[in-house]
Amino acid sequence: MNMQSGPADTAAEAIQVAPVDVRVEGVHVSYGEHHVLKDINLTIEPGEFFAFLGPSGCGKTTLLRLIAGFNTARSGRVLINGSDIGDLPPWKRNVGLVFQNYALWPHMTVRANLAFGLEERRLPRAEINRRVDAALALVGLSHLADRRPSQLSGGQQQRVALARTIVIEPKVLLLDEPLSNLDAKMRVQVRRELRDLQQRLGLTTIFVTHDQEEANAVCDRIAVMNDGVIQQVGTPMELYERPANLFVATFLGTANVLKGKVTGEGADRTFNIAGRGQIVIPPEAVVPADAQLVFRPQAASLGPASTEPSAGSIGGSIIRREFLGSFTRYGIEVGGTEIIIDEVFQNGVHLYELGDRVQVRLTEKATLWLA
Amino acid sequence: MNRFVLLAAALATSAMFAPAHAQNSRVAITTSFSKDVTDPIKASFEKANPGITLDIQNRNTNAGVKYLEETRSNNQLDIFWASAPDAFEVLKDKDLLQKYEPTVKGLPDKVGAYPINDPDGFYFGFAASGYGIMWNTRYAEANDLPDPKDWQDLAKPAYFDHVAIASPARSGTTHLTVETILQGEGWNEGWRTLKEVAGNFQTITERSFGVPEAVNSGQVGYGIVIDFFAFSAQGAGFPVKFVYPTVTTVVPANVGIVANAPNKEGAATFVDYLLSSEGQKVLLEPTIRRLPINPAVYADAPDGYPNPFKDPQFSSMMMFDVDKSGARTAVVDTLFDQLISFQLDNLKEVTKAIHEAEAALDKADNPQARALIKEARDMIASMPVTEEQASSAEITGAFTGAKEKGARQAELEQQWATFARDNYAKAKAKVDEAAKLAR
Amino acid sequence: MTVALSEALPRRRGLGSPGPAVVAILIAVFLALFLIIPTASVVYVAFTERGTGAFTLVNIQDFFANDLFMRSLWNSFYVSTLTVVLASVFALPLAYITTRFDFRGSAIIQTLGFLPLIMPPFVGAVAMQLLFGRNGSINLLLYDWFGLRVPFMEGLNGVIFVQAIHYFPFILINLSAALRNIDRSMEEAAQNLGSSGIRLFRRIVFPLAMPGYIAGASLVFVKVFDDLATPLLLNVKDMLAPQAYLRVTSIGITDPMGYVIAVILIVVSVAAMWISALAFRGRDYATTQRGGGGLARRRMRPLEKLLAYAVVLVILALVLAPHVALTLLSFATIWSFSPLPDAFTTAHYERVFSDSFLYIKNTLLYASLAGVIDVVLGTAIAYLVLRTKLVGRQWLDWAATAALAVPGVVLGIGYLRTFYGVQLPNGAPLTSLWLVIVLALAIRRLPYALRACFAALQQISIALEEAAQNVGATPTRTVRRVVVPLMMGGILAGFVTSFATAAVELSAALMLVQTNSDAPLAYGLYVFMQSAAGRGPGAALGVIAVLLVAACTVLSQIIIARSQKNTGMSQ
Repeated sequence: MNMQSGPADTAAEAIQVAPVDVRVEGVHVSYGEHHVLKDINLTIEPGEFFAFLGPSGCGKTTLLRLIAGFNTARSGRVLINGSDIGDLPPWKRNVGLVFQNYALWPHMTVRANLAFGLEERRLPRAEINRRVDAALALVGLSHLADRRPSQLSGGQQQRVALARTIVIEPKVLLLDEPLSNLDAKMRVQVRRELRDLQQRLGLTTIFVTHDQEEANAVCDRIAVMNDGVIQQVGTPMELYERPANLFVATFLGTANVLKGKVTGEGADRTFNIAGRGQIVIPPEAVVPADAQLVFRPQAASLGPASTEPSAGSIGGSIIRREFLGSFTRYGIEVGGTEIIIDEVFQNGVHLYELGDRVQVRLTEKATLWLA
Repeated sequence: MNRFVLLAAALATSAMFAPAHAQNSRVAITTSFSKDVTDPIKASFEKANPGITLDIQNRNTNAGVKYLEETRSNNQLDIFWASAPDAFEVLKDKDLLQKYEPTVKGLPDKVGAYPINDPDGFYFGFAASGYGIMWNTRYAEANDLPDPKDWQDLAKPAYFDHVAIASPARSGTTHLTVETILQGEGWNEGWRTLKEVAGNFQTITERSFGVPEAVNSGQVGYGIVIDFFAFSAQGAGFPVKFVYPTVTTVVPANVGIVANAPNKEGAATFVDYLLSSEGQKVLLEPTIRRLPINPAVYADAPDGYPNPFKDPQFSSMMMFDVDKSGARTAVVDTLFDQLISFQLDNLKEVTKAIHEAEAALDKADNPQARALIKEARDMIASMPVTEEQASSAEITGAFTGAKEKGARQAELEQQWATFARDNYAKAKAKVDEAAKLAR
Repeated sequence: MTVALSEALPRRRGLGSPGPAVVAILIAVFLALFLIIPTASVVYVAFTERGTGAFTLVNIQDFFANDLFMRSLWNSFYVSTLTVVLASVFALPLAYITTRFDFRGSAIIQTLGFLPLIMPPFVGAVAMQLLFGRNGSINLLLYDWFGLRVPFMEGLNGVIFVQAIHYFPFILINLSAALRNIDRSMEEAAQNLGSSGIRLFRRIVFPLAMPGYIAGASLVFVKVFDDLATPLLLNVKDMLAPQAYLRVTSIGITDPMGYVIAVILIVVSVAAMWISALAFRGRDYATTQRGGGGLARRRMRPLEKLLAYAVVLVILALVLAPHVALTLLSFATIWSFSPLPDAFTTAHYERVFSDSFLYIKNTLLYASLAGVIDVVLGTAIAYLVLRTKLVGRQWLDWAATAALAVPGVVLGIGYLRTFYGVQLPNGAPLTSLWLVIVLALAIRRLPYALRACFAALQQISIALEEAAQNVGATPTRTVRRVVVPLMMGGILAGFVTSFATAAVELSAALMLVQTNSDAPLAYGLYVFMQSAAGRGPGAALGVIAVLLVAACTVLSQIIIARSQKNTGMSQ
């Protein structure tokens, strides 16, 4: 269970990988009429823990399998450490893929599963044993080496799959939803272990997930994908704070979206929310056509309703209140839309009741106009 | 798995190229005789001729002929060994046999009225067989049936649904039986007898052996068979009896050397052995029970063993015309199939109706009804082709793949089948009318 | 993501490995040489004009204008359909009771249920006559006691009865497998929604098992439609396959009609399989999520148990009747017009003992070689079809499966025609090699092995292969180290089916056996049965054949079970 122990550290030294970069250039993938990936361009830095994040069917697994060599691009290139691997078959790419359902060979023991890739590389038996032992120690499964996969728990199987992949010292580690078959508690634990292991090995890692929390927790950078297109690439914080579009904003964390109309020109631009108020748009803000107002629940504060709507605030009424410990979450009806505002809870803070009319004051810097 | 495949493959290749039949003293024989016949002969032959092995391949007569035809380009067989003389005629005509003069001398020329050997020396009789009726005594007792004496007896109402025969198209010996009746009674009368007996058939078996088997086991009471089926069944202890009808013949079972035989010398040795008194004695074995063509051998035969050279019934037997038979083999067999085998249900139905009507008339006679039944019987007996037509080139050509365009076999068959079906239906109508009158 | 998985191993730019293509071409050549060309050499006669050899359809017209052939066609349909019905009556309760209930003896029933398949065809018919014939044991007793006879074996009844007993295991095996593969959660979900008992079976369990049932039923239909040995043994000639055989082997060898019938047989068989495949389309209920592992087995109430045992015993008694009769016959001195033989003897076994050794050796060699060829081809074809994108790979599957529709006689004659002219270095014709018998057997049984291999490969998640390639195994190595070991259960099952049924195959062997020393058991049986002096020795050889094949089958089952346990794939 414990990967931080001493033997694991020495084991990590037995597995040697040089950090490499991965570049994806202008990749298109189609299945017949269905355009699955559209013009994908990415650079993943050496040693980076990188995530492809997006809803089901967004193309993230296709992209991962493309890198592993199990899919073919209609056009575009994939480069690892500067060399195009497009013409290499999967077995010559040396990119380790951990499958979503682990794909452990049921007819082999844990040890045989690990040794397989090394045997295919025709390594001497002693070397194979040394590396398999090291990899098993690394994932803390030395004592289960002679079991068969069917005799292991889900978490153990997951770690065997991981060990089987890193034992071949891949240039890049690809993880396809590796946590999806684990229960919630295991998921948190394993993702930490994954992160630690990746750090210790310095292995360039690509992680496919639909769970933003997972991606945020372990990854250096994330590519958010939707509908075969990369929506935005950035660190978790960047993506949260400065989402490039409405999809990214709503997919990552909770975001309030209000429809309205931009009026005025230059410095006089305002965003009018039908009947509920208007927000002055700062002159430096870039507002795309058909933009909508986007802000996070904590990027606004509540005040009592005023008769005169002031610029930068919107009127609404409380329709829901949830006490969540460190903060209180209000649901506020604004012109037929529900928005969510979180207020830090501390002694003496005023609590609004259902039906109270309130004024929502936006924090100017945290307000976004996105399409 | 891989090891398994390799092993199997190695086994296969080694066995394949091993000189399995290296000794040139193998004699390859195709025969329609059962193991009951061939095993004792093989055993005694190999004992008498050390170094020569017989490779006996069992095919029915027709399949054997066809096999020789299909493989003539590269023949691997030495001996053709079967009962039906006309099969040998076919082979002889197609140049598939070769001439030989046996070293055994002093054998009679004829058995009954039948010449034993081919006058041209292409094949030789080694045992005689006659055709007759075999029955299961337990069956006969249980069903309270009399012993038959002649073919016509089997047409009696008592035997309805109790008789079996092999299809002449499938059984060389049955074909000879049918031919014997046709030659003995004449074309029209012969077919009348055949159809009247056929009305009592329970089944028409696909192989010769189907008939003795059915009679032995008691599934059927009476069978039209070649004599040795009954004799060997008796030898094995089955409760069966056999009778030679008056219209019958004794014909030799034959052996011939195949043209281009790979082992001609061995083949000759085998033919000579079969004809030697040593070989002839083996025919008396309980499982074989054929009639030797060497009269001297009968001295060793058990009591009651038929002797065609002495017993009076054999001297009166008819002469069988092989040429006539050979010319119309396919036509006769096809007629039998189309008029009898494949119309059996119809034929039985009308036969049963006749039996019932006649039984009623026996109680209360009605000349008009009698006349109707006679008409019906004539209708059943009538033939779509005359004896002359049956041997004519136009009709036989349809069955031999003659080069010139002519009637197709399937066309003729359909004509004959329709003829039979319609006649049986008309006959049935007449009998029904007669039955009404009789009531 | 499901799209990604189904697009398993796509063509790759610039590295299209030639391996699969080479294998595919080799298989195609093999099938062409040993199936398509021999069959075509027989079939084309159907379309030639008598005398001139020109192309014509008049023969087909003749076929449809001929009362006998039309009656035969109708009879064949009638017999095949009713056989499927009767075989289902035998198979359904056995499959249902042994998979659905906690039933003591399930394993034995499943094994015994396999036995009829390895009854050499005509021996079964002979034995059935003795028990159920007009004057068989049953009818003699019935007549003695009640004065009545039941026409079990009269005409087409007999064919249906014998065929249903002979081929019902195809339905039993397929249906049982399908029932076992239904995920328990499917049933539980239905129970959860308030369904139970017969309704549950009718609405959920049976529909889910339907593909298995249809697979078995269509196989039975086709086999019965094409079978000639059983009808001929029962002296039923007005069916299509016997008609073809009778014509091709007696008068009419020069007439195209026999070959026209062969064409009709092939067309009907292909159509039957095509229709059953259509029925499958979009009904692939492979319930892959494991864990539940098959249907919940219910305990039976005492009364139910009594009923179940009664039903099972009656069916087993019926389907094993040929074996019982055969055994009796093999020990009988004289068995004539009596319910039981007059006395018993072991003489028949002594009589066949010396001969049988040769036959057994040949049979084991031929049937196991045929089985090996079948599973090698089956595995390769299944892999090519399911795991590669080769153009035309489906044709391999179709061609191999079409072998099911080629009557053994047609194949046998085709072999003689095609290969007799081919000479070996020593001047002997190619057909004089017993290997030709093996090839004919292998082609005839290939469809069985192929289906088993297909099923086995379909059950392997493609991720297991990708995982191997991902860590550096080439496709060839992946096949060797991952695919084949994981398919082993299915491959062995295919081997057993091919082996066991090839061991008792007669029709092709009868045409191709060239010397007695090369003859397999089925041929020996045929020869021993050609006796007027009783069927004792033949029956003894038949018992030996059944025991031998059964022993081999059980042995392979044990090996399968052990290999499954070793690979940790058993439940």
